[in-house]
Amino acid sequence: MAESRASVSLRYVLVLLALCVYVLPLFYLFNVSMKTQIEYLKAPNAIFEQLRFNNFGIAWEKGDFSRYIWNSVLYTSVATVASILLSLFAAYPIARRYVRFSNLIYLFFTMSLFLPSPLVPQFWLASELGLYNTQWGYILLRTGGTGIAFLMFVGYIKSVSRELDEAAAMDGCGYLRFIFRILIPLVKPVMATGVMLTAIGVWNDIIGPTIYLSDTKYQPITRGLYAFFGQYLNNWPLLACGIIIITAPLILLYVFIQRYLVSGALAGSVKF
Amino acid sequence: MYPFGRGFSRHMPLALLLLPLLLYLVFAFGPSMATVFFSFTNATGIPGTHWHFIGFDNYHKLLFSSDQAERLRSIRNSLKFAFLVVLIQNALGLLMAVLINRKMKGDAFYRATFFLPVVLGVTVTGLVWRMMLNPMSGPMTSLFKQFGTSSSFLSSYDAAFYWIIFVQIWMYMGYSMTIFLAGLQSIPKDLYDSGYIDGTNAWQSFRYITFPMIAPSLTVNMLLSIIGALQTFDIIYVLTNGGFNTRTLALDVYRDAIANNTTADYGLASAGAMVLFLFVFIFTIIFMYLLRRREVDL
Repeated sequence: MAESRASVSLRYVLVLLALCVYVLPLFYLFNVSMKTQIEYLKAPNAIFEQLRFNNFGIAWEKGDFSRYIWNSVLYTSVATVASILLSLFAAYPIARRYVRFSNLIYLFFTMSLFLPSPLVPQFWLASELGLYNTQWGYILLRTGGTGIAFLMFVGYIKSVSRELDEAAAMDGCGYLRFIFRILIPLVKPVMATGVMLTAIGVWNDIIGPTIYLSDTKYQPITRGLYAFFGQYLNNWPLLACGIIIITAPLILLYVFIQRYLVSGALAGSVKF
Repeated sequence: MYPFGRGFSRHMPLALLLLPLLLYLVFAFGPSMATVFFSFTNATGIPGTHWHFIGFDNYHKLLFSSDQAERLRSIRNSLKFAFLVVLIQNALGLLMAVLINRKMKGDAFYRATFFLPVVLGVTVTGLVWRMMLNPMSGPMTSLFKQFGTSSSFLSSYDAAFYWIIFVQIWMYMGYSMTIFLAGLQSIPKDLYDSGYIDGTNAWQSFRYITFPMIAPSLTVNMLLSIIGALQTFDIIYVLTNGGFNTRTLALDVYRDAIANNTTADYGLASAGAMVLFLFVFIFTIIFMYLLRRREVDL
């Protein structure tokens, strides 16, 4: 079916217009990060005079980011790996109905989306259990097997042929070994999306650390950036560098994983 | 049937499922349910004080106390936020998905870019827009000057809330778009071919083929964005922290429970969470009914 030339051009114009709304703020961010404070004050919107990558070094030092970043790496890696594993442990038997009341359990897990905010009792519970202001406590609170990754796994595993389980079992493969050796390589596309979305959630979490980690030595980089903003409120070049530093790891991850995004969403958007 | 043997190995699935189930019960489902209980008590964050049941006092306090005007504005703001975000975010997400779904140079790049704010996260997105909307030297200030107007953006009592809505949509439009794209890609091509033979124009093929076929993605998108828009407050926390008439019900729950450290009022915060839940519940039921009916009809 041919598309008229006018309609093609209109399509490009609309998409490129939208693209500007997304690219310009990010370009502006980079532009500011390459300036000196004086250069910025003189002409905040002019293009930078020269590349100044050592601005990042200065921001890294002043923001004390080395103190925060290891916390972020620890929380994100542990909570993501644990959450993905638990999601798989939960999704596989439910998708295959290997446990009783599978549909009911699925419904039960998705219910938390609608239920009242657990904030207050959760906070109270965390304090009672001694999880408040501890690194493992925060990781435990960020770990779960019933989030977006779980939903995507269930949807995807349903499309994987059941005969595979039977053939593997026939050859003497056990349940755990099946999950690790056969299922994980099979669900790789949704797993990539699941890992990314889970990691994004933990790395970028600002409310969680604000609530649960009062001690600055436990705080992740989002808190560090927020404090940095309060401290250097008008030094925009420095702040822009800080912003870029904290997003860099996720953008790297994103570059590798983004091609799986739509297939992941396809699996995740099965009906509730 | 379960193929992985009998005896002990028959219980492996349940044994492994228990771990996520337990975490869910203890840290998500349980606390959610306990919110009901907390909302009828005078529990506070002060250690060593006794709690007792006080009936509907928290609800009364929430709606009829001295700061009633602000509380009611929070509720109004929550509804306004949800309405505008759901409507605009999904409309734009669908539009962009439909545009990009056809063959296009660089479509993978557009897709990746529109989704990028989700990757950047709330803190970074919020701070980037605080920079863009900085009333002293930000580029939006210069842009507004070009058109002969001015605004103090996030420090304006009238406009700040709409700028927050704008940033929220900017952030999540790509998410809706991705779900719509997944839906669009599952539509068989020959439907359009037969439509073409029957002489449909672009609008007709959207209205009678595309739109009905993506009904499931529309349901998912609507539900996720309604629930998300009502419950979210991190973007407000980063952009204005509730200043300049930008408080919502969800932010109030957080502030009552935690932010006002010295006067943390668990009961009041829980009552707020229950009122918020009521809205989520009502809207979810209405939309489920409307959208599901549409799915069945077709």
